[in-house]
Amino acid sequence: MNSVERIFEPVPETTDRLCNADTWESGGRLWPSSVKQTLTCCRVVDETHDVKSFEFRTSDGLPVRFEPGQFMTVSANVQGQSVERCYTISSAPTRPYLLSITVKRVPGGTMSNWLHENMRPGSQLAAYGPSGTFTPTAAPAVKSLYLSAGSGVTPLMSMTRAGIDLGLDRDVAFVHSARTPADIVFLEELERLAKLSPRLRLFFVCEGVGEEPDWAGATGRLSLELLSKWLPDYAEREVFTCGPAPYMSAVRELLREGGHDPARYHQESFDISAGVVPEPAEARSEAAQETFTVKLSRSTKSFTMNASETVLVAARKNGVSIPSSCSQGMCGTCKTKVLEGSVDMKHNGGIREREVQKGFRLLCCSRPTSDLVLEL
Amino acid sequence: MSEAQFKTHGELIRSRQPGHGMTGELFGRQDVFETDVDVFFHKHWILVGVTADVPEPGDVSTVDIGKASIIIVRDDDENIRTYRNVCRHRGARLKEAGKSTVGMLVCPYHQWTYDLDGSLRHATHMGKDFDPTCRSLIPVHTRIVGTHIFVCLGENPPKDIAKLEETMAPRFAPYDLKNTKIAFEQEIIENGNWKLVMENNRECYHCQATHPELTASFLPEDFGFCPENLGEESLRALEDYKVRNAACQASWEQDGFVSANVEWLDEDAVTQFRTQQLVIAGNGESQTISTKVASTRLFGNLQRRDLGDTHLWTHNSWTHVMSDHAVISYIIPLAPDKTLVRSKWLVHADAVEGVDYNISDLTEVWVATNNQDKHLVEITHEGTQDPAYSPGMFSPFTETYVDQFSRWYAARLSAHGI
Repeated sequence: MNSVERIFEPVPETTDRLCNADTWESGGRLWPSSVKQTLTCCRVVDETHDVKSFEFRTSDGLPVRFEPGQFMTVSANVQGQSVERCYTISSAPTRPYLLSITVKRVPGGTMSNWLHENMRPGSQLAAYGPSGTFTPTAAPAVKSLYLSAGSGVTPLMSMTRAGIDLGLDRDVAFVHSARTPADIVFLEELERLAKLSPRLRLFFVCEGVGEEPDWAGATGRLSLELLSKWLPDYAEREVFTCGPAPYMSAVRELLREGGHDPARYHQESFDISAGVVPEPAEARSEAAQETFTVKLSRSTKSFTMNASETVLVAARKNGVSIPSSCSQGMCGTCKTKVLEGSVDMKHNGGIREREVQKGFRLLCCSRPTSDLVLEL
Repeated sequence: MSEAQFKTHGELIRSRQPGHGMTGELFGRQDVFETDVDVFFHKHWILVGVTADVPEPGDVSTVDIGKASIIIVRDDDENIRTYRNVCRHRGARLKEAGKSTVGMLVCPYHQWTYDLDGSLRHATHMGKDFDPTCRSLIPVHTRIVGTHIFVCLGENPPKDIAKLEETMAPRFAPYDLKNTKIAFEQEIIENGNWKLVMENNRECYHCQATHPELTASFLPEDFGFCPENLGEESLRALEDYKVRNAACQASWEQDGFVSANVEWLDEDAVTQFRTQQLVIAGNGESQTISTKVASTRLFGNLQRRDLGDTHLWTHNSWTHVMSDHAVISYIIPLAPDKTLVRSKWLVHADAVEGVDYNISDLTEVWVATNNQDKHLVEITHEGTQDPAYSPGMFSPFTETYVDQFSRWYAARLSAHGI
């Protein structure tokens, strides 16, 4: 439980860790993802007008092992509620004494607002050890293509920093999408890193120019055209993508269209948007008014309904209970065989085409288009 | 057993006389078994299946390994994904062991619904402050090599899996093993300790007398022999073998196959394996009674049938890949005296039963061999638990790999503080 957590008064460091031999005696320690420990904030960096980086040390100030691209789960008590969120470690494991997370303040975002308002040097934060498989070890890459949008830049930043800290000059094309030029996180640092590593190439695309009418870079959204222009060899590159879910699915679709091998596509998995929008209950035209009879094959029960509602809802109203859960065509709990008749089904991935071919339907997202006999 | 005589797992293995078998307690004791499962099946890379176990998106194969269980699933982008079989809500098993097909992975308890990428897509009644993004299914470290699915349940998977990958990927490549189907599967439970199952697999001393079907095609010379007792006929056979082996290797290499043996088995190996493209006796085509191919539809775009047997050993599996079919077996320990052996016979995905192959010709050799091995393991396990058993000497010619396995076993235990 998190009830003991509170914001501690900032504590000044009592020892000078730089001059303490203990600091330099051990290598990075393993910090299992199941183990919670308290981190101390050392520095808060304003990256853009709504993005801050928070740099932390461990309680004893000793270094920690992780892979570039991994995330840690931070845990806080916000207004009496225990809240946990995953944030990518934006710093590089090659600088293991400081762990940083880079957080965009999201309107209504519980944790991001709390961090922006409360974290300052000396503040403490509970976190679980590094985890995640969105790292360069996922696949060997002679040539990489990093695609990020917004604060999705963080894992790719960690990978980029780590590669350069290792003294490498890897062939990396870093294509970042932002709202406006002023929203590009780590712009200056990336430009500096590109000078150190000539094979690191940077490309930015901004939705709008914002306050910078002189912006000479690309505007609009990332397109296949833009990608082919910048990187004619994009199909040969191992792709690492991180950003909001709609961005990632757009990128995935775009690459698929461009013939990029999906086996060489990697994306951060935890940063998903929470749910799906249920199908709006549209007012249907005549079909909605037409009455259909639904019979159940294993009993003598039957009922009538029209297409303004789903078979599941109509069944329930008529005292027929069918196991169900999500009502959005995802979980598949209401999967039932339609023995006769046809329905219009709008599912969300809860059923396979193979099952549909065998006559199964998800009743929670199916509306009749004829009389039906269900195997119930 | 009195307390004074009780030896720890580590003491038992360290007191093994070099070149001799392990003591009976290492095969029979419950505590030894539990440590074995933890070290060798939860902290090392193990083989848990083949890509053809989940041929289509939404196909699921669930494998129990000790107290752990994993879900192997093919996602909509044809990637193989693996997760711990534990709901992130209250821990219920999402799937029973075995195979099934799903739209999404749904917990039977409260219907928490996970996308095939592991993310929690739906959970009712959790309130608006509930953040599903930290409740994704726990992924498992996974490497696909050819068609083999290797996983490591540990936090720190041994890095030398890369050596196995680098060695095997080019060898398997011409066979296009991802484009295969399972023609036949066999699951047997051997009443013996898993180490006896592996030891039995590491020597062919026993083959001549006990495996008449296998020895029709299998030439044991690569795995050692004692030159002193060989009769004239055997010496001639050995000479023939050497000539034949050299000719085959040269001919394979010329066609771009990598055939030389690679051994990563001893105490310095973590993810141990051995491979070699082995010559097959008789017609030289396949591990069948006739030594000819069992499936006339060869793997991939192969043009020649006489490609011998590309074998692979790992510490929980053995594989034989021929031009027409592959036999892949892996083991999972169930109890000190019970070991599950799963074998899968793969053929080209487009091969048609009754046209290109028939099951009996395809499976005859290894179904018989597995049953014979089951018997050998069982009588040995029983004997090692007899008070009269004292470990005997390994043949320095034909059982060197068994001794090496024992050394590796000891080294790996020691590396894990046992």
